Amino acid sequence: MTTAPVRAPLPRLLRSELRFMLRRPRTLIALLALAIMPVIAGVSIAIAADSMGGGRNAAIEGIASMVEGNGMMLPVLVLLLAVTMLLPLIGSMWAADAIAGEAATGGLRNLLLAPVSRVRLLAVKAFGVATLSLLAVVVMAVVSVLAGVVFLGGAEMVTVSGTTLPFTEALGRVALLVVAVTVQVWAVAAVALAISTCTDHPLVVLAAATGGIIIFTVLGEIPSLDWLHPLLLTESWEAVADVARDPLPMNGLTEGFLRAACYLVIGYSLALARIVTRDG
Amino acid sequence: METKKTVLAVAAAGTVAGVAGLVLLASPAGAGEAPPALPEIGPEALVESVLSTTELPALSGAVSLENNLGLPVPGLSEMGQDGAVRVFTDGNGKHRLQLPSDGGETTVIDDGKTVWVWDSVDRTVQKTAHGAEGKGKAETPLESRFADPATAARELVDTMRADSTVAVDGTARVAGRPVYQLVLAPQPDERTLLREIRVSVDSETRVPLQIEVLANGQADPAVKVGFTEFTAGPQDASLFQFTPPAGAEVTEQTPDKEFRGESAEDLFAGLDIEPYGEGWDTVLTGTVPADLLTSQLPTGPRGEAGPGGNPLDLLGTIGKEVSGDFGTGYVIKAKVGTALITEDGKVALGFVPEEVVTEAVNQMK
Repeated sequence: MTTAPVRAPLPRLLRSELRFMLRRPRTLIALLALAIMPVIAGVSIAIAADSMGGGRNAAIEGIASMVEGNGMMLPVLVLLLAVTMLLPLIGSMWAADAIAGEAATGGLRNLLLAPVSRVRLLAVKAFGVATLSLLAVVVMAVVSVLAGVVFLGGAEMVTVSGTTLPFTEALGRVALLVVAVTVQVWAVAAVALAISTCTDHPLVVLAAATGGIIIFTVLGEIPSLDWLHPLLLTESWEAVADVARDPLPMNGLTEGFLRAACYLVIGYSLALARIVTRDG
Repeated sequence: METKKTVLAVAAAGTVAGVAGLVLLASPAGAGEAPPALPEIGPEALVESVLSTTELPALSGAVSLENNLGLPVPGLSEMGQDGAVRVFTDGNGKHRLQLPSDGGETTVIDDGKTVWVWDSVDRTVQKTAHGAEGKGKAETPLESRFADPATAARELVDTMRADSTVAVDGTARVAGRPVYQLVLAPQPDERTLLREIRVSVDSETRVPLQIEVLANGQADPAVKVGFTEFTAGPQDASLFQFTPPAGAEVTEQTPDKEFRGESAEDLFAGLDIEPYGEGWDTVLTGTVPADLLTSQLPTGPRGEAGPGGNPLDLLGTIGKEVSGDFGTGYVIKAKVGTALITEDGKVALGFVPEEVVTEAVNQMK
C-alpha cells in the first residue's frame, strides 16, 4: 500500500514470524508448562480421588466431581481451570512481546521507520500471537486427553447429564471446547495487543491484562452490578463447561463466542489506530 | 497520508461496531419489539383452550425462575442463578428434566415405565418403577372434571370473576413466541398484597409459558416463572432413555405408598388447616404442636454449625415480634404475603397485609 517497491510474500512473513516466536526459550517453556499441568492433574486425581474439590467455584467443582475414572472429562476440567487465568495470561505475554517487547529492544523502531506497511506489520504480529494461543490450547487439550485416558481410564465420556458419549463424539466435544477456549484467549490477547502498541514496556501489558482479568472477575461477583455483567468478557468463561452437558446447550457457548468476537474487534481496532499514529 | 486516514476510519468503525455488539448482547432479546398481532380472544375462550390441552405437546425448552420475594427461599434462588432448568417431553408421558445443582446437574428421566434420577455431584442413580401408582393418578377426579374443558373454563372464570377481574391484556412475546396475556386482578375491595397475576399463554399450542405474580407497589414481578426457550415439535426418542453410566451407584426405590399418601395427610390433619375469608384475602390458619416450636433444631447436614436454638429463636431472627389479643407471636413479611406464628403454635398465612393475618389469628379458638 505504501511505497515499498517489492513486498515480501505474506506467507513467508507469517512463517518467519512463527519460527521467530517458537525459537524463543520462553515460548517453549510456557508450552512445556502447559503440557505438564494436565499430567499432574491426571495423576493426582488418579491417586487421591477428592484432591480437586473444595473452595472453588461451582462450575469447576461440578466438573471435578465427574473426572474420577472418566478420563475424557479431564480436558474439560483442565481447560476450564486454565481459561480463567493461565491461558489468557500466556496469550497476553505473547501480545506483550509482539509490539512492546520489540519496542523495548529497539527492534520496533527499525520496523516502523522502514518502508513497511504498519497494517501489515500488525497483521503479522497478530497472526503470530493468535496461532501460538491456539497452539497452547491444543497442546493442553491433547495432553489432557492422553493423560485422562492413560491415568484415569475410560475412552467414553460420561457427561454431567448422566449420559455416555462414545469416544469419537467425546473427541468432538473436546474439539468444540478447544475452539471455545481459543476464542476467549484471542479476545484477551487482542486487547493486550492494543495495550502493547501503546507502551515500550512488556511488563505494563502483562500487569494491565492480569489486573483487567482480576477486576472483571471481581465485578462479576458483585450482584448489584448485574446490569454490567453481560459486558464482561470473564462472564462467559464458565460456559465452556457446557460441552460436558448432554444434549449440548449452545446458548452460553454462542453468547461467549459473540462477546469474545466483540472484544476481538475492539482490541484489534484500537491496536490498528495506535500503530499507524505511533512515532517511530 | 490518505491511507493513514482510511486506516483510522476503519479502526474507529471497528471499535464502534465492537462496543455496539457488546451493548446489543447485554440488552434483553426482544426488548422494544412491537407486540405481535394476534386474533382477538375472550378470557373464557382463552382459558378453555388452555384447559383442553391436558397433556403437554412434545416440546423442548428451558425454564427459569426469578424470585424477588424479599425473602430467601432455600433452593429456589439457586435455580435462577445457576441457569435454567431444561425440559423435554415427547407428549406421550415421557419426560426429561435437567436441573443445575452445585455446578453439576440433576437429570430426571421418566421413560414411561421407570423414573431415573441422576445426580452428577455424587454420581448416583435412583431408580423408581412407575407401578400401579402412575395409572391411578390418571383417573383422579380432578382430571375427569377437566374432561369437558368448556364447562370447566366457564366455571373457573365465573368463580374467579366473583373476586377478580379477568381480562386478556394484549399480546407479548415469551421465549420468542407470541403469547396472549391473561390477567387476573383482585377486585378493589379485596384486602390483598397482590396487584395481579399475569399468565402468558402461547398463541399456538396454548401452553401457559410464563406466570408472573405482581405485588402492590412493585414494578418487577415478585415471582416470575416461565420458559426462556421453547420449541414445540417431536423430540429425539433417545432423550427419554436412560442407561446408568459406568461407575455410577444405582439404588432402587419402590414407590412407598405409606410415605407419600398417609403420612402427608396425617401431617396436614395434625396442622388442622382451615381457610379464613375468601377470594384473594383467604388466610390459611392452623396450629402446630407447641412442643415443635421449642424443640431443639438439628445442626446442619454436614455437621457444620446449624442455626442452633429452637424454631422460636429462628423466627425471632427472621421475623418481627408482635403482640395482641392472641398473645405474642412473630410476623414474617414478604412482598406478596404475610405469615404470623404465635408462641402457642397458631399459624396464619396468606397473600394479605399484617392486619388480616392478625384478624385471622384472633378469631381462632
